Amino acid sequence: MTLTHAEAEVLLTREAMLLDRGDWDEWLALYAEDAIFWMPAWRDELNPTEDPDSELSLIYYKGRRNLEDRVWRARSGLSVASAPRPRVVHQVTNVLVEDGHRVAASFSTHLFDKRAERTHTFFGRYDYALVRTAEDGAWKIAMKKITLLNDTIPTVVDFYSV
Amino acid sequence: MLAPGLARLIDDRPADGVFRVSRTMFDDPAIFDLEMKRIFEGGWVFLGLASQAPEPHDFFTTTVGRVPVLVSRDGDGRLAAFVNSCPHRGAMIAQTMCGNAKLHVCAYHSWSFDSAGRNKGVKWQEAGCYTPAFEGERKDLARLPAFGEHKGFLFGSLVADVPPLADWLGEAAKLLDLVAEQSEDGMELVPGAVIFTFAGNWKLQLENCSDAYHFTSAHPSYIRLLEQRKEKPDPSTIGSVWADDPAWSEAAEGIQGGSYSFPYGHVLNWGRMDVSPALPLYERAEELAERVGIERRAWMFSMRNLTIFPNLQVAENASSQLRVIRPLGPGRTEMRTWCLAPRGESAAARRQRIRQYEDFFNPSGMATPDDTVSYENCQRGFASRVEPWLLGHARGLGASKAGGNALSASIGLAPERSVIGGSQLCDETLFHSYYREWARRMAGALPA
Repeated sequence: MTLTHAEAEVLLTREAMLLDRGDWDEWLALYAEDAIFWMPAWRDELNPTEDPDSELSLIYYKGRRNLEDRVWRARSGLSVASAPRPRVVHQVTNVLVEDGHRVAASFSTHLFDKRAERTHTFFGRYDYALVRTAEDGAWKIAMKKITLLNDTIPTVVDFYSV
Repeated sequence: MLAPGLARLIDDRPADGVFRVSRTMFDDPAIFDLEMKRIFEGGWVFLGLASQAPEPHDFFTTTVGRVPVLVSRDGDGRLAAFVNSCPHRGAMIAQTMCGNAKLHVCAYHSWSFDSAGRNKGVKWQEAGCYTPAFEGERKDLARLPAFGEHKGFLFGSLVADVPPLADWLGEAAKLLDLVAEQSEDGMELVPGAVIFTFAGNWKLQLENCSDAYHFTSAHPSYIRLLEQRKEKPDPSTIGSVWADDPAWSEAAEGIQGGSYSFPYGHVLNWGRMDVSPALPLYERAEELAERVGIERRAWMFSMRNLTIFPNLQVAENASSQLRVIRPLGPGRTEMRTWCLAPRGESAAARRQRIRQYEDFFNPSGMATPDDTVSYENCQRGFASRVEPWLLGHARGLGASKAGGNALSASIGLAPERSVIGGSQLCDETLFHSYYREWARRMAGALPA
């Protein structure tokens, strides 16, 4: 079964909504157990890093457990950077299904950090690899690569900001 | 605007056991302007690593204070630093972070310069009806008046009146050596620069790197996560040397760490750590024991946060980071950060180093954001002048002593002052070195 455009759009939109609402348990459930969550750094003006084992990334995790750790930290009350968290809205556009199970898209997020009285926009590209689960036939995220185009980070960037 | 007098900024009275710094130091625009002129544009600063321009004609760009700088390796392999500005009308010549160019051509009027900074052409010079006076002008890129290298670390100054680099680094050079000599082939930056800003004064970063006191207060989420990873091991998570480190444990007893201070504002904050497989350097443990000896190896494995005043910090703890501090304004700072690694390490060790780095050091990681958000909270609080003096520079005053101790002597290191103690001492007197150097550099520029 190949992925339809409609299925891809629904999944990406759903992920964006869950992140924005802070429904992070449901968000985690979108990811396969061994999922890769990857936001490369940049070598220079035009080239993001490509090999996470020999080059630096902003975030690179293989395994959902690592995302669970991030969610735990964001909720822990033990991280001053994580609370009060900024208000965020994701906008996901230009969704294109490629190669039966891969999806490319563009994103922008708008953040408002009340404590800092600071509004910021992150923007870039998403590349997903999806996998259909054996149990219920639902599509899950096997890989999400976030190419952040404006990578001069104003203080903090977290999993819910991009 | 006139800057306040020195006595209203730094209250340094050793005989009374007092060292206080005023909030004004962190948010006064007149002070920031003087810091740019006197400190960042008035003496040695770190530029980058020689390995950022390894081949003939390679270059990279940076800034010294507010001035754009080009570091270029010429055809004979010699490195030099230039003001990255055309002598014609001032346009920045090299516009990329790094590259390779035998010839740099100004994009504005096509004056050209070779990789040694020599002018190779003035467009339409003969037709230009220049006077003989112009023919006699120097048309090369302006060289930084002082430029030098220590084991791959490059430094430059926009003024000529500086001590020789070796004198300025002094004993602190031995601490750079502990970084540079982890591999026989020296060190390199892992590809991928991470740049972030924070809405705070640059001296907040200077202090935080040397501040052991904040660790368990600002980073409990990271510490708890390491504990959870130990309790429920999962091969997909990365371990950390902090997980086994006694330095922050309430139960730790005896000597756990301390500080060394050096002339010109250089300082080290250190904590004892074992030769542990939690560090990627472990694969070299035997080789290092033979090549550098047991004592220097012990120091290479221990947690070390080094500041070479005013803009270089090398943090070796959860992983290994090179940081360059770039002040943008009294309340705004840019950090340029890289993962620093010994050349020739195995693929597995490099992967471990990178994962540990991302976890702890990145602005997208699980520790640094808790620092930078705290800097911003400090910066807001600095607006107050109700009680201008801060009480954040007094821990360890009763333990600071002139000279070093047995541990520094074990590697032939002779600091100006030292503090040594248990895990909860968390010395703050090493900050004094920053502020005394700051005061020395401001001499004559501030009212008494």
